[in-house]
Amino acid sequence: MKRVLAYLVLAAIVAAACGGGGTGGTAGTSPSPGKAIKVGLVTDVGGLNDKSFNQAANTGRLQAEKDLGLQTQVIESKKQEDYVPNLTTFAQQNYDLVIAVGFLMQNAAWKVATQFPNVKFAIIDGAPANDKGDTANLPNVANLFFKEQEAGYLVGVIAATMAKNKVGKATHNTLCSMGGIPIPPVDHYIAGYQDAIKTIDPSATIINGYSNDFVDQQKGKEVGLNHISKNCDILFQVAGGSGLGYIAAAKEKGVYAIGVDVDQIDVAPGTVITSAIKRVDKAVYDTSKSVKDNSFKAGDNFFSATNDGVGYGKLDSVVPADAKAAADKALADIKSGAIKPKTDLTVK
Amino acid sequence: MTLDQVIGAGVLAATLRLATPILLAALGGVVSERSGVVNIALEGCMLVGAFFGVVAADRTHSVVLALAVAMGAGGILAAIHAVAAIHLRSDQIVSGMALNILALGLTSYLDYQFYGNTGTPADLAGVPDVSLGPIAAIPFVGDVIGNQNAIVWVALALVVVIQAFLFRTVPGLRLRAVGEHPRAADTVGIAVRPTRYWAVLASGLLAALGGAYLSLSVAHSFTDGMTGGRGFIGLAAMIFGRWTPAGALVASLLFGYGTALSFSLQGASIGSVQVPVQLLSTLPYVLTILAVAGFVGRSRPPAADGLPYETEGHA
Repeated sequence: MKRVLAYLVLAAIVAAACGGGGTGGTAGTSPSPGKAIKVGLVTDVGGLNDKSFNQAANTGRLQAEKDLGLQTQVIESKKQEDYVPNLTTFAQQNYDLVIAVGFLMQNAAWKVATQFPNVKFAIIDGAPANDKGDTANLPNVANLFFKEQEAGYLVGVIAATMAKNKVGKATHNTLCSMGGIPIPPVDHYIAGYQDAIKTIDPSATIINGYSNDFVDQQKGKEVGLNHISKNCDILFQVAGGSGLGYIAAAKEKGVYAIGVDVDQIDVAPGTVITSAIKRVDKAVYDTSKSVKDNSFKAGDNFFSATNDGVGYGKLDSVVPADAKAAADKALADIKSGAIKPKTDLTVK
Repeated sequence: MTLDQVIGAGVLAATLRLATPILLAALGGVVSERSGVVNIALEGCMLVGAFFGVVAADRTHSVVLALAVAMGAGGILAAIHAVAAIHLRSDQIVSGMALNILALGLTSYLDYQFYGNTGTPADLAGVPDVSLGPIAAIPFVGDVIGNQNAIVWVALALVVVIQAFLFRTVPGLRLRAVGEHPRAADTVGIAVRPTRYWAVLASGLLAALGGAYLSLSVAHSFTDGMTGGRGFIGLAAMIFGRWTPAGALVASLLFGYGTALSFSLQGASIGSVQVPVQLLSTLPYVLTILAVAGFVGRSRPPAADGLPYETEGHA
C-alpha cells in the first residue's frame, strides 16, 4: 500500500514538473479552428528571459500573435536532448511553422524536418545539418542567418573610439570579448568587433576568451575577472546567460561592458554602454508573416544592416558624440558596401 | 604559459570562488548519505535556493531574509525527498531525480511569471564580500583571501563544524551508526527515522546555501538552470572525498582549480601552439580522473546508504 502511495506521489511530482516546462501560451485567444496559422517556437536552453536571443525570439512570437492574429505556443528546451522531442511535438500537432531557436539545433531540425515534409520549419542562426554535420537546404526549412559581424563592428567602433580617447574609465586601451562557445554566430560578432578595433586603432590590445557555456553565470564572471586583471576596460559578451556573469564582473570592478543580441542597457545601468543587436524578434515575426502571406522562402534568408536585421542598441550617457557619429558613419558604410566586416577572428 | 597563469593569486582566488558552491553541495551529500539516505535532489535544492533567494532579496531588500528564504526553500524540497525516501520507502534515485526536474520546471516557470520577459532586477541586495583589513594588504595572500565573499568563509567554517560533529560528538556517531547499521542502532534505542529526517533536511539547507551563493554573491540575478549541474559535481566531490567533509573540501578545491585553470590558460601557448579552448574546458574532469585513479584508492560508502529502514513486523 505504502509503495503504491509512494509511486503516486512521484507521479504527481513528475506531472507538476512537466507542466512547469511550457510557459506563455495561447490563453485568451480563440482562433476559429482550422483557420488560424499555428506557429510553434522551441527555445534553446537558457530560458525565455535569458535577456538574450531566446527572449528576443519570444518577443517576436508575441508580436506576431498580437499583430497577425496567429495562434502561437512556446516550449523551452531544458537540455540539448529536448530539441528533437520538442520540435516533434509541434510538428505532430500540424503546426504550420515550427521555429528552432539556435545554431545548436541544426541537427535536430534536420531530423524532424525530413520526417515531417509538410510542416514548415525555420532555424535561427543555422541550416539543417545531417548526422555527419553537413548542412543542406531542405524545401520546407528556412535558414535564418544574421550578419553578426556588422553588429560587432558597430559596437567595436564605439568601444575603440572611447578607448583611443581614454573616455571615462577606459584608460588602458585594452578591449576584450568573451564568447559562449566558438561557433560561427558567436565568432562572427567577435570578428567584427576586433576588425573595427584594429581599423580604428591598430595599437589597441585585444583579448578574447570563452566561458564554454551559454547558461553558467559563474563561469562567465570568472572569465570577466580574469580579463579585468589584464587591464580590460571594455568587455563585450557574446554568451547568452553566461555572458550576464561577464557583465556582472564589469559592474563589480567598475569597468564598461557591451551587451549582445537584445538591448541590455538595463541589465547594469552605468556599466553597459551599448549592445550589439541582432533582431531575432524580427526574424521570427517576418517568417511567421511569410507563412501567413504564402511568401515563405526556404533556404538561406539573411538579416543584416541593410534590412535593419542588426544594429547597435541604446547608448549610455558616457558614450561621447564622436563615438556615436563614428558608429553611424560605419553603419552607413556597411549599408553601402564600403565596409565589409571580417568574419574571421583577428585575435583568437 | 607562465607561472602566474598556473598558480598566481588570481587563479587561487578563483579556485576558492568556484569551489564554494560545489563544496556546500558536497557537505549536504556527506550529511545525508552518512545517515543512509542518497540525496541526488541536491541539484534541485541548489536551484530553488538560488531562485527563492533572489525573489526574497527583491521583495524584502534584506540579505539575511533572502538567505533564510533560500535555505527554507531548499529545506522544503529536501523534506519532500525525506518523506518519499524514509517514510514511503520509495526508490531514492527516482525521487531525487523527480525533484530535480520539479525544481528546474518550477523555478523556470515562476521566473517567467514573476519577472516576465525582462529578467530579475539589476539592483538586488547581495551577500557582501569580507575585507580582511591588514591581511588584504599582504601581497599574494591578500590577493587570494583578502576579499572573498562571506559565504566562502561560511562554507569553509562548515567543513570544520561538520567534520567535528560527525566524528567527535555523540549525535554525530549516532548519525553514522544509522547509516552503517540501522538495525543495530535501533536496538540500542537510536531513533533511526528521525535521525535520517534531520540529516536530509540539513543537506537541503546546505545545498540551498550553495545555490544562494551563485545567485546572491556571484551573479546578483537568477537565470534558468544557473546551477549548471553543481549539485551532481558536489556528489562526485563527496565520493571522491570518501564521505568526509575534509575530503569533500579537497575534492571541491580540485574541481575549482581545474575550472579556474581552464580560464587563466586561455590564449596561452605551449611553444608556438595555442591550446584549444575546448581542450582546456576538460581540465577539471581530467584532473579528477587522475586524482581518483592515482590517489584516492577505494572509496566505500556507508553500508546502509540508499536502503530504506523497515522496523520488523511493519513491512
